[in-house]
Amino acid sequence: MTDWLAPAEWQALALSLKVALVATLAALPPGIALAWWLARRRFVGKPLLETALMLPMILPPVVTGYLLLQWFGNASPVGRLLTALGTPLAFRWSGAALAALVMGLPLLVVTLRTAFEQVDQRLEQAAATLGASPWRVFIGVSLPLARRGLIAGAALTFARAFGEFGATITFVSAIPGQSRTLPVAIYELINQPDGEAGALRLVWVSLAVGLLATLGASLLLARGARARSEPAA
Amino acid sequence: MIDIDVRLRRGEFQLDACIRAEVPALALFGPSGCGKSSLLAAVAGLLRPRRGHIVLDGRCLFDAARGIDLDPPARQLGVVFQDARLFPHLDVRGNLLYGARLRGGADPVALAETAALLGLEAHLPRRIDGLSGGEARRVAIGRALLSRPRALLLDEPLTGLHRAARRELLAHLVRLKQELRVPLLLVSHDAEEVAAIADRVALIGDGRIAASLDNAGFRTRHLPRDALHSSTLADTGVDP
Amino acid sequence: MHSRFPRWALALVLLAATALVQAAPPTLFAAASLKPALDALAKAGALGQPAPRLVYAGSSQLARQIEQGAPADLFISADQQWMDYLAARQRLAPGQRRNLLGNTLVLVAPRDASLMVDLTRPASLLAALGQGRLAIALPDSVPAGIYAKQALSALHLWSDVAAQLAPSRNVRAALALVVKSECPLGVVYGSDAVSEPRVRVVARFPPSSHQAIVYPLAIVAGHDNPASRALVEALAGKRAAAVFRHWGFDVMSTPP
Repeated sequence: MTDWLAPAEWQALALSLKVALVATLAALPPGIALAWWLARRRFVGKPLLETALMLPMILPPVVTGYLLLQWFGNASPVGRLLTALGTPLAFRWSGAALAALVMGLPLLVVTLRTAFEQVDQRLEQAAATLGASPWRVFIGVSLPLARRGLIAGAALTFARAFGEFGATITFVSAIPGQSRTLPVAIYELINQPDGEAGALRLVWVSLAVGLLATLGASLLLARGARARSEPAA
Repeated sequence: MIDIDVRLRRGEFQLDACIRAEVPALALFGPSGCGKSSLLAAVAGLLRPRRGHIVLDGRCLFDAARGIDLDPPARQLGVVFQDARLFPHLDVRGNLLYGARLRGGADPVALAETAALLGLEAHLPRRIDGLSGGEARRVAIGRALLSRPRALLLDEPLTGLHRAARRELLAHLVRLKQELRVPLLLVSHDAEEVAAIADRVALIGDGRIAASLDNAGFRTRHLPRDALHSSTLADTGVDP
Repeated sequence: MHSRFPRWALALVLLAATALVQAAPPTLFAAASLKPALDALAKAGALGQPAPRLVYAGSSQLARQIEQGAPADLFISADQQWMDYLAARQRLAPGQRRNLLGNTLVLVAPRDASLMVDLTRPASLLAALGQGRLAIALPDSVPAGIYAKQALSALHLWSDVAAQLAPSRNVRAALALVVKSECPLGVVYGSDAVSEPRVRVVARFPPSSHQAIVYPLAIVAGHDNPASRALVEALAGKRAAAVFRHWGFDVMSTPP
């Protein structure tokens, strides 16, 4: 089994899984908050926020990568601060995770916002009359009723994060162990005249990961399909 | 003690409601569209009146002049909505205990008593999408009761149920009223329902409270002669 | 229906057909590093009228596209391996391949950096790098990166810097990292350094340290026609040579 992939490829796969998982989990708090605000609140500048969120999807990934380099690279003010704190993003897997998060966040917000918009606000009113603070209403009623959207959005974000290439390689290059993810490894192979077979092998690996992610999401969706006695705390 | 003096307005519609009553059960009676459900929503904190005040059991819930407007959780009222509004992601037990868990913890004794009072013992593990209209109303009532409310607000509890379910639920409500320790505010356009439960009735019409009657006075004016001896009332054991 | 098509109408149709054929300009697929020079040549009208369509990308992408039938008439690759790739698959017009340009490999730093590097001493390079990374193109798959790895290995510097590399998608991206001061040093083509005023050459790799950097030019199989040949002549001509030299390329005067 260990001969099936070269050590460098195992490393790329492990790194991709780590980066995608971290990016997805880190995207959840801001993604849930943004989706909620966009679904429920009216405020000045709302179209501006919606457009800003769409930018990573509209812009070429390389452009997004250059923007990240501009704002978080070693030579930027934020980058210098991070380096001083000992947590630089440039040329690190954390930078790769940030790139993946930025590219995947719009998918999470769009999916989850639709789910929140479909939650009956009269149920939220009922919860309030029963003593639930706005936070409790959100955690105990709105979020559970939007869980299908949350799981689907998270699965989409993970898939996008796992396959992220353009922004990542532009921002944090392709450093083995830090930012040489599986998509980068595939790119390198198809850039070699005899690399197609190797690239195909890694494509199968990517498909397997995608399949597992889809299965995982389906399991999560099925598990919650039955109502529980215990409401979410 | 219920002290309401508010003006409600939404678009063309306006209602000036002034009621003071010191009875266990007060009903707001009037035809569809007269504003009685809006008034209930205002008491619950879901609707903001233009002006006035709402005082319940000595607590000021709303006072425009003094800038008081308690949010729904702070009002501690048990509201039973006309559309039940049960939580689909919880089963019957989960729904019943939702408010209780927020206000001090689930009391198994209280749960058992309430379930018995409303005939829900057998339904506790059921999913709510399988409940009939009457069963759903009863769960909604139980949920409101178990949240330790300072008053119970019922919005048209019998409306939309078929005859047998109405009879059954009305019997539960009458029994409930006897057990209840807190004030009850009932909104209805059904004279039978009101007569069976309310000690005092505020008649709403023409954008204001047209009259305030006690139970006997209400029955005389609004129940047909033969209904005084209807089987419904006989079932519930209430003397006309 | 006329039994005899009027001669003047026939002449008109032929004229129109010729015009149509001539109106479609030839398409040149070229390695990305040639963009500044070729764009300048096209703008100056030195590549014939009408000006050819210029398509830039990595040599590997272009070669694979040509293999799959992309409508290219000419191809200039950044190294021999991708031209050989097409030759092996009979995708080149016979007898029309030649070496057009050469290039050098240089070490660059941001313009305002005041360091110099002596490539014969590893300590010099490492000191200049400090905590930073050396920007190069992907060393196993992009021509500029392959040459860089060859040169650094030949100078016994590879093992010292291998852990401090920042491999980029292509040589322009590596150059950009140096321009933005994200990397203190970068290995790029001499032509890149010429076209980018915001970097400074701090050392030159001896030509002997790497495989000769050659840009071969060929006509794609099935596209050997007067227009393509005219473009080849324009690219190999004196006027083009002057422009290429201006942009930092070496001009090869003889076919392979």
